Parts: sequence; C-alpha cells; structure tokens
Amino acid sequence: MRDDLILGMAGAGGDGVVSAGESLLKAATTLGYHAMMTKSFGSQIRGGESSCRLRLSTRKVLNPGGALDVLVALNWEDFLRFGAELPLSADTVVVYDEKAGPARTPVAARGLVLVPVPISALAKQAAGSEKAKTAVVLGLLSGWLDLPAPAVLKGLKQRFASKGEAVLTATEKAFTAGLAHAAANGWAAPKALEKPAADAGPKLLCDGNDMCAAGALFAGVKFFGGYPITPSTEVMQILSRELWKYGGAVLQAEDEIAGVGAAVGASFAGKKAMTATSGPGLDLKAELLGLATIAELPLVVVDVQRGGPSTGLPTKAEQSNLFAAAFSGHGDVLRPVLAPTGVADTFRLTVEAFNIAEQYQTPVLLLSDQEIAQRKKAIDVIDTSTLEVAERRVPTMAELAEKPYARFALTESGVSPISHPGLEGGTYLAAGIEHDEKGAPTSGGAMHAKMNRKRFAKLEPLAARADLFELTGNPAAPLGIVAWGSTAGVAREACRAAAARGLDVKLLVPYLLHPVADDVYASFFASLTAGLVVELSHQGQLYRLLRMFTDVPSSVRSLCRSGANPFSPAELLTRLVELKGVR
Amino acid sequence: MGCGSLEASDFKSDLKPIWCPGCGDFGVLQALYRALAAVGRPPHEIAFISGIGCSSRIPGYTTAYGFNTVHGRALPIAQGVKLANPDLLVVVAGGDGDGFSIGGGHVAHAVRRNLDLTYLVMDNQVYGLTKGQLSPTSLKGLETVTSPLGSLEDPINPLLYVLAYGAGFVAQATPADMPGMAALIEEAIRYPGFSFVNIQSPCVTFGEEEQQLRAHKAKLKPLAKLHHDPSNPLAALDLARAYGRELYTGVFYRNPAPPQPYDALVRLRQAEQSKLATPRAQLLDTWLADGRGKR
Repeated sequence: MRDDLILGMAGAGGDGVVSAGESLLKAATTLGYHAMMTKSFGSQIRGGESSCRLRLSTRKVLNPGGALDVLVALNWEDFLRFGAELPLSADTVVVYDEKAGPARTPVAARGLVLVPVPISALAKQAAGSEKAKTAVVLGLLSGWLDLPAPAVLKGLKQRFASKGEAVLTATEKAFTAGLAHAAANGWAAPKALEKPAADAGPKLLCDGNDMCAAGALFAGVKFFGGYPITPSTEVMQILSRELWKYGGAVLQAEDEIAGVGAAVGASFAGKKAMTATSGPGLDLKAELLGLATIAELPLVVVDVQRGGPSTGLPTKAEQSNLFAAAFSGHGDVLRPVLAPTGVADTFRLTVEAFNIAEQYQTPVLLLSDQEIAQRKKAIDVIDTSTLEVAERRVPTMAELAEKPYARFALTESGVSPISHPGLEGGTYLAAGIEHDEKGAPTSGGAMHAKMNRKRFAKLEPLAARADLFELTGNPAAPLGIVAWGSTAGVAREACRAAAARGLDVKLLVPYLLHPVADDVYASFFASLTAGLVVELSHQGQLYRLLRMFTDVPSSVRSLCRSGANPFSPAELLTRLVELKGVR
Repeated sequence: MGCGSLEASDFKSDLKPIWCPGCGDFGVLQALYRALAAVGRPPHEIAFISGIGCSSRIPGYTTAYGFNTVHGRALPIAQGVKLANPDLLVVVAGGDGDGFSIGGGHVAHAVRRNLDLTYLVMDNQVYGLTKGQLSPTSLKGLETVTSPLGSLEDPINPLLYVLAYGAGFVAQATPADMPGMAALIEEAIRYPGFSFVNIQSPCVTFGEEEQQLRAHKAKLKPLAKLHHDPSNPLAALDLARAYGRELYTGVFYRNPAPPQPYDALVRLRQAEQSKLATPRAQLLDTWLADGRGKR
C-alpha cells in the first residue's frame, strides 16, 4: 500500500485520456484523496497527442511530482512525444494497449514492469467500439489501485450523461470489462492506495484560471477587456459568463492592445478593471501599461506564461516572462509583479493584485503559468472571511469643495486621491504626457523628476510586505532554495524530503517578485553555504533580477532550464548537495 | 444640472492651446464648446478621450474629464470608459493619422460595436506635430518630407470607410462654416449610437493652399442644398466617394431607426443577470467538488 501515486496517461487527441483523467480526479476527490492533474497537449486543435498526469495522495499534494508510478500508454508514438512531462523511473509500471505493439525504445530498454492489456479489443468486445478505450482504462485502474468502482463509474457516467442511454450502457460495459480484467490479472508491483482520512472535508475542484477569475470577482472587478490567447483564455471565458451578474462588463476586443486599452478606459472611469493574456499579448500591451503607469490608473494584468519568445511553446509552461512583466515598456517604471505558486493561492494573489493596483494606482502584473493555470486540483475550501478588499482613495466631496482638485498632488506617500468622470468638482486631464500636479502637460525637467519620484515612492511600502513572502525551515540553515511560481511546489516537496534525510534546507518563496525586496533576500542569504534559485527558464530570470537589485553571494547559484522540462524534488536536493560539496 | 443653462464658456479651460495661430482646430474647439452647451450635460458628466497629435490635445482645453492617451488607441479606451459608466457622455477626438493610420484597425470595430459615443476626426491630410510628413489622407502625388518625390499612394477615404462598416451617423464639417459645424457636432452627440464627424481642419503650417479656410469657403457644398436625403445609405456612399475632390458638408447618413446601442444592451444584460449574482462569501461554491454549488 502507498500513500502517494503518480499516474500518467498518453494517447491520441481523440482518445479522451484527459477527460478520463478528469473523471478519475473527480472520483478521487469525492473519495477524500488530495489530487492534482496537469494536462499537456500538442498544439494541434484536434488530433495530435494529449496527455495528463494525476497525483493522488492521502497527504497534501504540493506539485505534480517527478517520475510516474504508473503509465498508461494507448500508443507509443504519442507517449514518446511527452518525454520530459511523463518521466519514467526504474519502478514505473507501464500499462499499454496490446494493439500498440511491443514496447518501444526507450521504454523497452529500461527493464520496467510491462503490463500489456488488450485495451482496444476489450472495448470493442464489451462496448462495440474502440472509442470506449478510456472506460476500459478506468476499470483497470479502479481495480488495480483499489479505488471503489461505484465512485469511478459515477464520475465517468457524469461525463457522458448528455450522450444518451446507449452510450452510457456501452461505457459501463467497457468499464466493467476493465475491472474484470484487473481482477483476473494481478500485476507485479503493489500500487494500491491507502484509504484517505475520513474527515477530509469538502473540496474545490478547479484550476488556476478558475481561481484567477474567482479572485477577480471577489475583489470586485467590474470590467474585463481582452483577446483570446492560450493558456489564459479561460479567465475571459469564465468572466464572460459571470461578470454581468455583478454589474460588470466584458469586452472581447479586436486585438490585445484594444483589450488592455478598454480596461485602462474603464479604470479611468472609476471601475476595477483587468485584462488577461500570455507572452505575445503582453508584448503588444506594453505601451498601454506605460500609459496606466504615468496616468496612475489601477489595472490588473494577468500573464499566464508559456514558452517563448514569440509563439514559442504555446501549450507548455515556462517562467520566462519575468523580465517582460517587470520591464516591458520604455521610461522609468516600477511595476509590481506578483506570482502565485499554485491553484489555491492564485485566488488570494489575484485579490492582492487588485488591492495593490487600487491602493497604489498602478498596473500590477500577475504572473501565472500554463502549469498552474490549467492544472486541475482538488483543494481545501478557501477561507475568504479574512481576505481584505481594498478600494482606491477617491477625494471626498468636502475635499473637493475645500480647494481646487489637483489629481497628481505631491503627497508624502506619493499616493494622491483619484477622482473619476461623473464626480462633480473632480474634473482633470489624465494623460500619457508628463504633467504637473493638476494634470496640465509639461515638458519641464524639474516636474518630470518630481513625478518620477512620486511614482516610485508610492510603491516603496511593498518591499516590506512580509506576507508576500513564504519563509520555511530553520532560519540559520546552511542550505537554501529560492523558488517562485509553479516551481515553488517542487521546492516545497524537496524541502520536505530534505527534512526526512536529515538535511537542513530552508526555503524562500517570493509572491512579490518586483520590486525586489532587498532585506528579505539579504537575511535569507546570510546563513547559506549553498543556495539555489530554481526556475524554469533558460536565463534564470529571477536570479538575474536579484543580481540586478540586491547582493547575491557566490554561494547562491541559478538552477534553471527551458520550459516544458519540469524539475523533480530529488533533482533539486542532488544539486544542492553537490553545490555544498564543491564549496 | 443638464437643464440647458450652460454657456459655451463653461466648457473652456484655462490651458492655452499649443496650436499654431490660424489652426483649424481652434474653430473645432469653439464649435465643440457651443455644441456641448446646447446639449446641456455638465462638464463632470463628460469624458473626452483623445490619442496623440496636434488635435488630440483638445480634451485639455475643455473643463470636461479629459484623457489624452497614446497614439491610435483613443477608440478602445473610450469604449472601456463608456462600458464602465454608460451614464457618461463620451466624446473621442483625434487626427487623421491617429484615427486612420496607427489606430485604423480600431475604427471598424468601434463602428460595428456601436456604442453611444461621438468620434470627431480633425482631418488635415498631414502629420503636423511631427512637422509635415505624409498622412493616410494625403492626396496621391503630395510632396512632403517623407515623400519628397511625391506620394505613390492613394489616400484612405474616412467617410466611405466608416459608412461601409455601417455607422449610424456620418457627417463632414469645416471651420469655414462655424454655425454648421457646431450644429453637426451637437447632432452627432445627440445621435444614440456611434456617430462620426470628419472635420476638414486646415493645417496652416504644413497644409496645401487648397486646404486652407479661404479655399474651403469657396469650395464647400452643403449637402442640404443638394437635396441629399440623409436616410438613404446608398446615396450617402455615392457622395462619400467624392472625398478629396468635393467638399461636401453636412450629414451624409443618419440611420432613421437607430438600433439599441451596445452600452444599452449591456445594461439590459446586467439587469437580467443580476438576479443570478452570488453573495461574495459564496462565490467559490461553484467549484465545490460535490457539485453542490453548481448554478
């Protein structure tokens, strides 16, 4: 029996491995397991290859995990296209459709436990069609993993509920055939899961894009302007259905620029506004972000990162947009960048992005990535009762009556009250051109310097926000890892494993990436004899950003590589120990 | 307020325009003051959005809420303003380069979406702020600093462009006829939907002789005097083809049965959907694994 299991499935686009994974995820969640599912596709619209990996555990799931415990391959070609995303170990049990033929190199060469099953034949025999292949697979898994059949079958049937009685019956027959095959054919390795704790409590089943949209609604977003782009589109799709209910509006614009432009306009009009995009869209939006910065307009920009540059790897995660998020656009700009690390905290950080945007009258970049955004996970119900929602500081009627309104008044904090069209006594000129305190255009160097100082000074309190950093482990530990975004989950698990091995490793996860919080890093680095900044980009963009704004000791190195090559917890520890040995 | 008690001077700000003496945009500004006074909405209920260019400085010269944005993006930004607060009177302004070159892609979409806003283009057939380059409405053959040997391109036809996408109100004006221009801007603002006024606004510094006010006065042909029926879209298209040759002023097309503008449809949808709103504390129930929160 085991308490944790990683399952991968790969097949052709039409085989339905992703929806089979979703059925299993739903069933496992209902049974009380902690579960997470990530999907990976080729970029074809239909057909091509698709895969999913599911992690089921009796404990909290921190990341998608490393090597697979069980692989289900419906054919070899499609599986082999997912090398890095479906890694095998010497212990992986490989279940495959006999129809796919004998195991191919490198699967065959590794001496793995191979379990051929006539999946297609069973489907054809039981349901009359090979289309029921994934129902057979779910039957097999239900049997071998000891997941109660009624729960798995229920999830499966829900998926086909709209297809009519004939399909439902055929699906059930195929499932039962798989179940019977599992009962009659044991397999070599014990993979059955322990029973989960009985009082697991209610769960939410969602992905990062769901929680981004939900967080925006919770924060009180009233306008979304955007343009469809993988892998952020679901944020717009959800809000297109939901936002009207709360007196808001969604504009699917003619392009990325118009999408963010409309959001800037809505913010000028006094409403909480956002856009969501991915790398190529962020490139296009850069000029409008500069406008929001100089006009001091609150704005939330969600960037669900994918591989770049240009079209890059549109369906794969990469952490290579940090520079673009922090720096894209000309001029002296201090743009706050926040990064969630998983599905659940995407909710909180989206609310936080709105709070910072509104409070400091600035665009805020929320850097998610494909892995977080499209990872389906069963998470504990989020306690929203303690979350605060900030509103922009609007001048009061008394203030407006007292003296002429100066929109960009040079205040001590750098934040000046912001009015909006409709408010009597608060009229002003907002502009992309530099302006004086009242908004009148100026090209004077002295005023430009004052306004730049104002726009930087107002964001200074951010770096002191301890709640935007997660610090775990012994503060005096000689070993340390810094990890952000979807890589943080791997690092958390590595630290858990380190503790079990008696290694003293601490972890710093920044949710606020920019501005760089000098003091936080200085105190984290102080005790280290070996440290790693881990991230999924060729350059190691956070590491380089830290080198730019804070002192990074030579004991701290970058561990980075291109997207679609996820890290494993074991790898992190190995590198850390190596680095320690070198020193 | 909004009772018509406003004067043109109520809309004049204390910023001094940067325009060259004699610029056509001064006339546009005066006509706009008069139109806004006639419409009667107080300045704080007006959002005046522009792009970049000489003419895009215009919001700052009014007492309305102004937003002098970036080059070519005034229309999308204005649509965001209107959708965020449909109660506002939204006016958009800019030049021919702003609207039909760098921002040209947005015009078609603003027209088809049909929000209730008014788009004023000050068309001078030249880039003035950058000192005399070719613009998208410059005539073929025009010699400028970027076409020293003469332009090889035909101009875009703003009237035909906007009519072709189905705009409900399309007019042309010139400062050579100030009362006519003020009346057209007022009518455009009052039109319930996307309205467009192409204003032939002479550039005194880089413009051609035949584009100056004196020439306009001699050349202009009010459409009313030609007995044009502005409810006839085909006649409007035919007349619009003469852009660049004839200076027709007045209303080319006015939809006699304006459809509900987009912002009104948005309001209806919001009202209808508001019944389905979930209290903030229960927002996440939609994602409950057991399906309890599904709506």
